[in-house]
Amino acid sequence: MRRAARGRLAIIAPLAAGALALLATGCSSSSNLTPGRLQASLGATFANLYVLQQSEMGNPPVTAVGLDSQASCQKGGTLDVVQSGSGVWLCEITYLVAGPGYPVIAKYNVNVQTDGCYAADGDGPASVNGSPTITGPGYKQVVNPVYLIDGCFDTT
Amino acid sequence: MSLAADRWPAFVEREATARKPVGPVGGTLVVWRVELLKLAGKILVRGMIVLSLIGPFMVVEFLNLQSATPGDTPFGQWVHTSGFAIPMTILGFGAQWILPAITGVVAGDIYSADDHFGTWKTILTRSRGRGELFAGKFLAAATFAVFMVLLLTATDLFAGLAAGREPVVGLGGQLVPAGHATWLVVASYLSDLPPILGFTALAVLLSVASRNSVVGIGGTVVIAVLFQIVTLASMPEWGQQVLLSTPFMAWHGFWTSPAFYGPFGWGLVTCTAWIAVCGLAGWLIFRRRTIGAAS
Repeated sequence: MRRAARGRLAIIAPLAAGALALLATGCSSSSNLTPGRLQASLGATFANLYVLQQSEMGNPPVTAVGLDSQASCQKGGTLDVVQSGSGVWLCEITYLVAGPGYPVIAKYNVNVQTDGCYAADGDGPASVNGSPTITGPGYKQVVNPVYLIDGCFDTT
Repeated sequence: MSLAADRWPAFVEREATARKPVGPVGGTLVVWRVELLKLAGKILVRGMIVLSLIGPFMVVEFLNLQSATPGDTPFGQWVHTSGFAIPMTILGFGAQWILPAITGVVAGDIYSADDHFGTWKTILTRSRGRGELFAGKFLAAATFAVFMVLLLTATDLFAGLAAGREPVVGLGGQLVPAGHATWLVVASYLSDLPPILGFTALAVLLSVASRNSVVGIGGTVVIAVLFQIVTLASMPEWGQQVLLSTPFMAWHGFWTSPAFYGPFGWGLVTCTAWIAVCGLAGWLIFRRRTIGAAS
């Protein structure tokens, strides 16, 4: 019995030590979850989904390139919060629908996970990303592609 | 030409082939075959296979009954729009704990069952050595894990295809057409093979070291859930990469535009290391232990 217990301890101890070490180092080290990577991914993903939204609503076609969407993200919370890592980010996406003189801004609350995947919740304007469904031709209700945006970026 | 050989040539021939020494590789394969036969007879294994066959279609039916979508999982909001979102939602929701549990049930029991029934003495007095037994059992557990992943790939994909073949929105906001989406679903499921084999090796180590199936199976599941919780914590990049549960999600990169494969590559390294370390530790413990004496 004692022998078996020792065997069990031999397995559990290194695992627990490893987990603790990871948690301890995690609080101080830098992260590959940078604003740059998030902004690049979110901007491009939004553009693709906005094109899809416009086509589903039966509006005149737009192109992702023509939108020239740029995301700008900041991590929420106190002023001295480190601007990297997982958690909730506040992002503004600027895109062009009527030429360079008329930029439109869409806001998102972005929940970034540790693996580089994120879920961006629409936070206005309501006509763009405020409603989970949109009305297509013939009053058909379809999923609003830009209401909730799932995306991922490389963290390696 | 002796009389016996003349009268029963068939018998003599059969005798000769049956007694032919098989060598370590052949011996491993003998153990592997026997273990697979034993697995095929288990109620729990049969139950898991039946559940994998009907489960995905039950999920589709369940999703069809409600208008809400599992929006907190990638692809979840598209389950009513495209059938391809269904296998990916199942994978995103369950890979990190269902797959370790599936392999844990078999690999966490395959050594310790012989402790429970007291059958090591019986097996080891046969012509198969310890190395052959260890390798054969390990191979059988790995075979089952691979088989289950392939089975789930097929059933989840078919359940999705049956629900609809519309293009699906990828993780880069791009529309993925049906043909490409099929390949991406298959590739995503197959990318979970290395981590499930890692958990197989871990369950084998637990089973050998504890000589107890409760620890072998339960320990694997608990460690999988622990890893999943640890994953939520902010850690440096290498911290994420050494965890055995991270490679289960490497397929996320397959679905972006352009796709990225860095996490998958790191996952291969991580899983190989886990398989090697757990396998080696399991073998060292198994080789040194005393069987038959009071322990």
